[in-house]
Amino acid sequence: MSAGDLGAAALRAALFLSLWGTGAAIYAAWRRDARALHSARIAAGIGFALVVLAALSMMFALATHDFSILYVAENNARETPLFYSVISLWAALEGSILLWTAILAGATAFIAVRGTVAIPRLATTALAVMFAMLTFFLLLITTPAADPFARLALAPDNGNGPNALLQNHPLMALHPPLLYLGYVLTSVPFAYAIASLILGEGGDRWLVATRRFALISWALLGVGIVAGAWWSYAVLGWGGYWAWDPVENAAIMPWLTSTAYLHSVMVEEKRSLLRTWNLALVVATFALTILGTFLTRSGVVNSVHSFSLSAIGPLLLGYLVAILVLSVGLLLWRSGRLRDAGPIGAPLSREAIFLFQNVLFMAATLTVLLGTLYPLVAEAISGAQLSIGGPYFDRVEIPLALALLFLMGVGPQLPWHGASRATLERQFTAPIVAAAAGAVAALVTGTTALAAVLTYALGAFVIATVVQEFARGVRARRTLHGEDGVAAFSNLLRRSGRRYGGYVVHLGIVVVALAVATSQARTVDAERTLAPGESLQVAGYTVRLDAVRAVSEPQRESIVADLVVTGNGANQDLRPALVQYPSSAQAVGSPGIGAGLRDDVYTILAAYDQRTLSWATIRMRVIPGVSWLWLGGAVVGIGAVIAGAPPPRRRVVRMPIAEVAAPAK
Amino acid sequence: MVVRVAIVVALLGLVITLGLAFRRDPHDIRTGTVGKPAPAFTLQRLDGSGDVALADLSGKVVVVNFFASWCLPCTEENPALVRVYERYRSSNVVMLGVNYQESRENGLAYVRRMGMGWTTVADTDGRVALSYGVFGPPETFFIGPDGVIAGRHIGPIDEATLVTGIETLRTRAAR
Amino acid sequence: MNGRVLVAIALLVLAGALVFAARPHEATADERIDQITTELRCPVCQGLSVKDSTSETARQMRDLVAQRVREGKTNAEIEAEFRTAYGDWIFLSPPLSSWSGLVWLVPVAVIAAGLGLVSARLRGPGAPAPTAPSAAQVAALRERVAREEAAEG
Repeated sequence: MSAGDLGAAALRAALFLSLWGTGAAIYAAWRRDARALHSARIAAGIGFALVVLAALSMMFALATHDFSILYVAENNARETPLFYSVISLWAALEGSILLWTAILAGATAFIAVRGTVAIPRLATTALAVMFAMLTFFLLLITTPAADPFARLALAPDNGNGPNALLQNHPLMALHPPLLYLGYVLTSVPFAYAIASLILGEGGDRWLVATRRFALISWALLGVGIVAGAWWSYAVLGWGGYWAWDPVENAAIMPWLTSTAYLHSVMVEEKRSLLRTWNLALVVATFALTILGTFLTRSGVVNSVHSFSLSAIGPLLLGYLVAILVLSVGLLLWRSGRLRDAGPIGAPLSREAIFLFQNVLFMAATLTVLLGTLYPLVAEAISGAQLSIGGPYFDRVEIPLALALLFLMGVGPQLPWHGASRATLERQFTAPIVAAAAGAVAALVTGTTALAAVLTYALGAFVIATVVQEFARGVRARRTLHGEDGVAAFSNLLRRSGRRYGGYVVHLGIVVVALAVATSQARTVDAERTLAPGESLQVAGYTVRLDAVRAVSEPQRESIVADLVVTGNGANQDLRPALVQYPSSAQAVGSPGIGAGLRDDVYTILAAYDQRTLSWATIRMRVIPGVSWLWLGGAVVGIGAVIAGAPPPRRRVVRMPIAEVAAPAK
Repeated sequence: MVVRVAIVVALLGLVITLGLAFRRDPHDIRTGTVGKPAPAFTLQRLDGSGDVALADLSGKVVVVNFFASWCLPCTEENPALVRVYERYRSSNVVMLGVNYQESRENGLAYVRRMGMGWTTVADTDGRVALSYGVFGPPETFFIGPDGVIAGRHIGPIDEATLVTGIETLRTRAAR
Repeated sequence: MNGRVLVAIALLVLAGALVFAARPHEATADERIDQITTELRCPVCQGLSVKDSTSETARQMRDLVAQRVREGKTNAEIEAEFRTAYGDWIFLSPPLSSWSGLVWLVPVAVIAAGLGLVSARLRGPGAPAPTAPSAAQVAALRERVAREEAAEG
């Protein structure tokens, strides 16, 4: 039996188990039947193992170049290196849906095994929802529309090889799985929210049970988005990292609503308010992941990432409609039980800032959504063809982002319920001074665009609030627990991880914002045709062309320009290239990037002498501060880990007291 | 209540939009120049034997075809162009090939290899293609004797489409 | 120094820096080329601007814009030239002049509606400040703490 047969059989068996599990979980939740629940658990576990087996079979088929499978023939070639063969699992539509299904099966199994222990009825109902979604995806990949194991009657000698852009950079191994994990894990809070609505629970048990899942999926989405920006920066060769491409928009939308949720959820936890709203945010986040998948995978919008026009479009649209009808229907039906008690608070209270923040996040999300869809609407209504791209989104989203940056500094400094004048003075004196310093720093370093100056000022404002919070937290621990500074700091992160991890996330966001502002405001371009030995000067850097040469590898042919970059302390060899894969009609540009904490020198081979290789046109961009974007993304990830790590157990908390009481050894 | 109705209506609109999107081909882009006077140009012949000005061809039916040797669909459509050229070569129909984004030598070599007997010119800096709103070769424009662009075809063209485009303009001119 | 004086000075410095950054100035030729090419969509790319794209077509368009700027054409004249050839499609943000400019209202409408909903929920200035929690609220809190402790194990 070949790997393809094994994978196809595993998926069909998993589909059967998933159907069985759906029924068993529904019965278990309805009749509180322990045996049915046990049966559903087993179905979830084995189902997960089977889908993983299918994914591994596909990886094996790719690694062994089994061209009798259509997917392998289309996305692999004998010359494809092993690494890129294996990660081609997510290089095209069918394989990525297989990966998606495997993650969903894993989440289902996790809930079945772990979730149903603590709160059986709610989790069992959520399990039924998970199983239903898993069944849909298993149906999808066992229909011809997206069957990854579809066979070719006659296996070709060699395949087409992966898309040229997808075999050019190792980040392809990281960025799609991170994003898919983030996307799929949003289904866990969704399933619990739906379960809570079905059972008519007015409380927030669903929210407490899925708090960590919401945080993890949010963090994975965020880090995945930054990794995707890094990938497009390193691969697409235009010297940018974000183009408001539909697939980027599809990823940022659930991240925005998810960020709004992580904050408004605190209002529900502290004040038992915003119940309906939080449910709606969870539903919206999940629905947006499906909408994004639909938009980018059905071929209705043009995108760097859209796979070709595909038959799964109507199926995904049907799924989206089913989810919207179910969740909006449940929300409207149950909203009577979700009434909040009383008004929210004073305008200058933490909860009010969370609300304003939610409004801004909604505006940001809906702008991205409507901006992405507007060309479709306009064409459907009037036949007019128009474009909505970077300039529109920049003009709308940058002011929103600046306002959010401001609230990010204000919110944590305000107490719940409302702030007095004295509180305001205590909390905001230092941050306002920092903001002024930030604005001056921007002007001094030559970052003079208004949006960039505002970003520096607000960034400094937020940093000051975070430093102030840490300083006060450390001082409090030193006074209360007699810890030294280092211990107090690490204990803040360990024992109050949710709060102080959140501040670390805020710091990471500020770093990202500063990197974006700096790189957008101060990027310098130049382009020149050079003969070997000639050079090009931009922003204090000199780029000398040493040679243009042809390089031949089994899987590709390249023309490489050997460049040497000097100046501003840099001395680096860069090799921008034009790479020709047999599968693609046109050569793809592979930039040569000299990365640095101060500037990146980004070089592209734009054209060359095809006969004698005696000249090359080099396009060069000096992009200040862009490396900090990836670092900021990492800080966000670290902050999320601190915030999501389980706090030490209670016994450990009492340890210092015991130590104090015990005689010294 | 108002909020609820608004949410339901908005979601309905969203779903309908997405449904309608299936009827749309994102690669089909119609743009500005059809129905307008053809932008004037004077370009050098690929073989270097002087210039060709569109203005000199007024009163004739002109088929302007943007092509390049690096463009595979151009190779694909070329036999149809050759047949149609032969069919109309002794009439008032002029075929004009505009070489797109490549060196004169490469363009000329391609023209000789493909047996393109009609006039071919070099659009070295791409200005003519930009003024016609060209996305990429092959693209074909039908210009009437009145100097107005009557039709446009994006992508490889076939013989029937070419003949229909030309005959429409000829009958209109005869009337 | 008195805290309030410090804050006042900082706000003045901040305002000064922002006014300096926002000061109107005549755009140089290069800035105008950047402004125009940022707005133009590269016809052969996936939504990239003419400024960013490395394609040959984008380069030719940049050259054309640079030449028109040198010839003394205004931004509007240069944009009109591209609109004639490619229609509104060529602009990455829809023009305000036609009905398609309605899309600019989206963020404004969402913020207005959101603020309307939020302000209806905020406590007015005359409403009583929060007092000590009621017995029922305390009981609910105790119950939650107990449950979360149980959940944390």
